[in-house]
Amino acid sequence: MSELFDGKEGTQHLLMGNEAIARGALEAGVRVAAGYPGTPSSEIIESLARVADKANMYVEWSVNEKVAMEVAAAGSFAELRSLTAMKQNGVNVASDFLLHLAGSGTRGGMVLVPCEDPGALSSINEGESRYFARMMELPLLEPGDFQEVKDMVKWAFELSEELRMLVVLRSVTRLSHASGMVTYGPLPPREATARFRHEGFVLDPQEGVLISAPVGYKHELQQGKIRKAREMFENSPFNTYTGPEKPEVLIITSSACTLYSKEAVHLLGLKDRVGILKLGTTWPLPVNLLTRYLSLTDTIFIVEEVIPFMEENIKVIAAERAAEIGIKKFYGKNDGTLPMVGELNPDFVIGALCKILNIEYKARPDEYTQAAQNIPFTGEAPHRELTFCPGCPHRASFWSIHNALELDGRKGFVCGDIGCYAMAMLPTGFSVVKTVHAMGSGSGIASGFGKLGQFHFDQPIVAVCGDSTFFHTAIPALINARHHKADFTLVILDNSGTAMTGFQPHPGLDVNALGDTVPSIDIADVCRSMGARVEVRDPFDLEETRKVLNELMEDEEGLKVLILRQICTLSPEKKAGKKYEMSINEEICIGENCGCNRLCTRIFRCPGLVWDTERQVTKLDEVICIGCGVCADICPAGAIQRKEAGIS
Amino acid sequence: MSLFGPNELIEDVINKNLCIGCGACIELCPYFRSYKGRTAMLFPCTKEEGRCYAFCPKIEVDLDRLSEFFFQAPYSGAPLGRYRSIHTAKAGPKADAGDFQAGGTVSALIGFALRKGYFDAAVLTDKEGILPVPRIITDPADVSRCSTSKYTSAPTLSALNQAVRQGYKHIGVVGTPCQVLAVAQMRMNPTAEPDFSDPIALTLGLFCTWSVYYRAFEPFIAARVDISRVIKVDIPPPPAEVMEIYTAEEKIEIGLDEIRELVPDTCSYCIDMTSEFADISVGVLEGRTDMNTLIVRTERGQKIVDEAVAEGFLVLEDMPGENLEHLQWAAGNKKKRAFAKAREEGMINGAEGTRSYLRVDPATVSDCIA
Repeated sequence: MSELFDGKEGTQHLLMGNEAIARGALEAGVRVAAGYPGTPSSEIIESLARVADKANMYVEWSVNEKVAMEVAAAGSFAELRSLTAMKQNGVNVASDFLLHLAGSGTRGGMVLVPCEDPGALSSINEGESRYFARMMELPLLEPGDFQEVKDMVKWAFELSEELRMLVVLRSVTRLSHASGMVTYGPLPPREATARFRHEGFVLDPQEGVLISAPVGYKHELQQGKIRKAREMFENSPFNTYTGPEKPEVLIITSSACTLYSKEAVHLLGLKDRVGILKLGTTWPLPVNLLTRYLSLTDTIFIVEEVIPFMEENIKVIAAERAAEIGIKKFYGKNDGTLPMVGELNPDFVIGALCKILNIEYKARPDEYTQAAQNIPFTGEAPHRELTFCPGCPHRASFWSIHNALELDGRKGFVCGDIGCYAMAMLPTGFSVVKTVHAMGSGSGIASGFGKLGQFHFDQPIVAVCGDSTFFHTAIPALINARHHKADFTLVILDNSGTAMTGFQPHPGLDVNALGDTVPSIDIADVCRSMGARVEVRDPFDLEETRKVLNELMEDEEGLKVLILRQICTLSPEKKAGKKYEMSINEEICIGENCGCNRLCTRIFRCPGLVWDTERQVTKLDEVICIGCGVCADICPAGAIQRKEAGIS
Repeated sequence: MSLFGPNELIEDVINKNLCIGCGACIELCPYFRSYKGRTAMLFPCTKEEGRCYAFCPKIEVDLDRLSEFFFQAPYSGAPLGRYRSIHTAKAGPKADAGDFQAGGTVSALIGFALRKGYFDAAVLTDKEGILPVPRIITDPADVSRCSTSKYTSAPTLSALNQAVRQGYKHIGVVGTPCQVLAVAQMRMNPTAEPDFSDPIALTLGLFCTWSVYYRAFEPFIAARVDISRVIKVDIPPPPAEVMEIYTAEEKIEIGLDEIRELVPDTCSYCIDMTSEFADISVGVLEGRTDMNTLIVRTERGQKIVDEAVAEGFLVLEDMPGENLEHLQWAAGNKKKRAFAKAREEGMINGAEGTRSYLRVDPATVSDCIA
């Protein structure tokens, strides 16, 4: 039984924010959901996929975010409610379509849920999709707690239908991945009918064509919708004020910062001095509502994460209404009260309030703070580094890539891409990766480097991408490279799934998000069809992998592809199995002496190998060793030994 | 001779382009590897003292100390080094036939020693296409596949290190002067390994004026002939001034002037033409393509040569005075040029605490240059 679907109306459930988003969509009767995996968004589509059959939904993991948004849009065009979810930078990928969708308008309610990652806890950027809402002229909602997450998603569909435009509902890591109590509402009937009406008058929003032209007419129409949204937001129940009638300081906040602000005011005992205006509708801003609250005090403190989006927009309103509300003193990001990067927490808000109100507060004794800061250096906490898992095929792959580049000796380098393997810019991947940008960019950048020969560029170029990234956006870059005779070697780290985000399927696999058997697309065939030389190897065969890589790097001009296929250690298929029983013969371990100098624990650094400082030998951490056997091949003394394990 | 480690090796030798790629630092550890003629350090090693540095023939080579160790006398500075006798030689009737350079003396001696059990393994240089490939040979029948000169520097000593690790105890090594110098240093156990015993049964040194950097040679040849078709490369003895590239169908001649352009700078610092720290040295004989020059330097070298002659594996003749004179002139010139260059660049006998290319009595250097 799925609690998400079968929970009764009026009952309370502890839901993760992403589950609350899914429940809200279910209560709204969503029929089509599509996305591309990306932390912290992935559980939305996963949750919906699990109940798709019961809820009569179509759910898919699309090849990328743009396609996901297109698939969802088709549902809306056919008068169904649809949702697309992605991480913050996924909106960048989808943004070209988004611009045109904003112009064409929608029919069935359609909601875009970007889940953002302030502080880049699971990202290599802290991009902002709020600006897309403003730039594309779309309504933006930001829930402030878990109940609101569910309720606002449901309302977002209604709003979308009323305005006939896409609605953006933004979440952040601390909402998506934290949990809170949510009271369920009713679910709609199961039946739904899809129909795309296109035979009416061309400009008829329900029966005409869906296109962003004629641009003048459509753009004006769109702006009219935004004005209507603004009017609706003036009375939205999601914009709330708590605090005294005449606060000394007015906090204006939204999203997870609502919780931080409440906690700060509570801890400081300031509920009679500080008011909190929590905005659920952050674009377009409700001007009259803000004018009213800005009138309450002259000291305004805006609490939001990363870029001062609300702050700048509120200041415009304050300027426009200055005659009415007087001159305000603003605290926020522009004056340095809060940082412009990273995520916030209650401590930041407490610190800022203390400064603004000139009060003393210490959340904890100085000695405690000092001790806590020193922990990484005192050895009281074990040293943890960003590293590949024990037995990760990427460690083996990058070992060979590194060695091939060093042996080649022409200062070759790797253009990295997005996946666990981006960590190869760190020692865990022997620091071979020298560029990491958007998904697919490794291949695109390599394509560019590969055309610099006329300027005496003679460094070998290796690009890497994962199997999911290959389908996501590497393919066009490879076609570009092949067509323009760019000279580089692409190593596809094929670990049979979208591993970093939790093994979501991709077109290379024969299963989809719903668990159905579907046709798979062979990566090698795709590359061969482009005319690339394609080799397929097992990355656990270190010497063979190194050899073929050197050969490919020395090959005459053109696109070469090496597919290194080895399923992810953490994949459900592999988790229980151990190929080898590993052991260490301490008698012959060279250790720190000339001839080894701890190659395994100093350089290779699989977490399954541990240096015993007392006995001066390497020992095995049998609890985490998964028996891949690779370390036996790097040990110069043959001290690390493997024997075939019985299949468990 | 002071002892340092891999980081100094990188600084003193690799980064200064003094590395000739002899292979002395390869197969000792997982850090140094040779690929297509180039020595690479794969990962940083933090050892402050290492065999890689101690064996390297391009840094902190103490010529007097080596000479005292092997010849019980300081480094002489004589053009051909210290030796017992010099001859012309060729393979005898009992030696295996093969495609030899000149008289086949080296193959005959190695084949003989393996057959007699004086060696349990021989470390030789085979080739794949034009790429020299180090080999451990244990079957005398396999010796001939490694015959003929390679002209490109080769990491032959990687196979020696491998053979030592595999437990061979009586190894015969054939190498160029730089490799022979490295072997001599290895035999002195510079890192004072507690269980050390000299694994070298015989060092057979080749004459060498320079060798070619493989990575320059390969594209050079590829531009002239399909490398996969090359079956032999030869430089006939002077006065010929050409390199001959043989395929099944044709012979291509390339002027040595062009080839010398591909010689790495490090060869110009080399003071040794005739492998002065070998037991036996072998080279071409000017004006004759069917004979070699053979220099016997040590007692154990003498013993093998005498036995090989007695058993019909080797034929010796007297060295004509004119040839000896010319060989001394050529070797002396090489030594003189190299000593002068190294001394001018401050690479000899650096002050205490600094590291030098060579250490040797300054008077010897002055005598050589004069």
